[in-house]
Amino acid sequence: MENELPNLPTFSVSDLIASVNQTFEYAYPTLEVTGEVASFKVNQGKFVFFDLKDAGGSVGCFMMVWQLRVPIEDGMRVVVQATPKLTQWGKFSLTVQSVRPSGEGDLRKSFELLKRKLELEGLFAPERKRPLPEMPQHIGVISSTQAAGYADFIKILGDRWGGIRVDVAQVQVQGRDAPDQMIRAINYFNEQAELPEVIVIIRGGGSADDLAAFNDELLVREIAASRIPTLVGVGHETDESLADLAADVRAATPSNAAQLLVPDRRQLIAMSRQLVAALLPRMERVLDDSRVQVRLLMAQAIDQAEIRITTAIDQLAVMQRYIAELNPAQVLVRGYAIMRGEATPGAAIVVETIDTIITAEVTHVDQK
Amino acid sequence: MSTKNNPTITEKMAMLRDITAWFDSDEFVIEQATGKFAEAEKLARDIEQDLAHAKNDITVLKQKFDQAA
Repeated sequence: MENELPNLPTFSVSDLIASVNQTFEYAYPTLEVTGEVASFKVNQGKFVFFDLKDAGGSVGCFMMVWQLRVPIEDGMRVVVQATPKLTQWGKFSLTVQSVRPSGEGDLRKSFELLKRKLELEGLFAPERKRPLPEMPQHIGVISSTQAAGYADFIKILGDRWGGIRVDVAQVQVQGRDAPDQMIRAINYFNEQAELPEVIVIIRGGGSADDLAAFNDELLVREIAASRIPTLVGVGHETDESLADLAADVRAATPSNAAQLLVPDRRQLIAMSRQLVAALLPRMERVLDDSRVQVRLLMAQAIDQAEIRITTAIDQLAVMQRYIAELNPAQVLVRGYAIMRGEATPGAAIVVETIDTIITAEVTHVDQK
Repeated sequence: MSTKNNPTITEKMAMLRDITAWFDSDEFVIEQATGKFAEAEKLARDIEQDLAHAKNDITVLKQKFDQAA
């Protein structure tokens, strides 16, 4: 009877394990499992172990620490992307490629954990922030060209300013691959011979899960480490991502990013007109000042001339008086007489007074 | 890219500001004021024209970012 049993497959232990793994690989090359984290631990700073459990069971999980892009802790509900595996010791486990918090509360918790950690490292410190160039001529944009936020940004940018070279790195801004793609784009721009003056990372609004890529630890670190200043405009005004906090400048929305990046051309035109218009009164003022100065100098010159003329007139009067006193006629007025002729006895002399001319004869001359 | 003979809008704005500052500076000379004013007027006109017509040059890079290089 024993020989009548159908041919049962026979394996060595190793073959059985290999066969089971092959079956897993065929049936579930990659799968997602949701559960609650328990017994989370990191060994040697490299290997991450935890259990994923729900009310009905528990499964062990293993991953490398560099694959853990968001912080998790016991009690958090997460979704893991993993490959099922039977180990050589016959233990079933999940080899995890990525893990993300599931549900708003756990996303928030993970966000807060990472925020605290990076804050302590000083990644969000205000003193690290660099100003954006005033009027950039070359910018690098990291976004999905299909995203509404991208279209808003490009439109507002074009309305406000022109002449900018805009290099766009087309990446996913949502989902598992998004952080790595954005990291590669940041690296790409940072490695160019002609560096853009600023990197702008933009994405429109979405659910907390949609925006989770912007809370990826490696992406946040890459933004903080970029040698090109960064501007991040993700989601709506109320959304806050860790990428926002690590950026040099945070924009509330993609449209706001364009507003922060470039001035409004209409304002600049008005400003340049104002600058020129402000010169006119200055020119007038300068001319008025010159006129006043000329008038003042003229008045001073006239005053000086008057003083000199008066002085000259006074001096002339003195001279005139002096000359007048030397006039012989003046002597006659005072009662003196002018004698003409030789003072020798017998000689005739002429004596002139103020009103007479007398002819006389000298009778004798005495020496005084 | 700017050249000496073809300054950018940014450079023209800086030149306009320099001229404005010259009017308030110790370097001001009345004989040069009219010339400087005409220069400022021309710069303002140029800036307005440049801004009115300038378009952004948008290039979506061919470089792919979906895989590590």
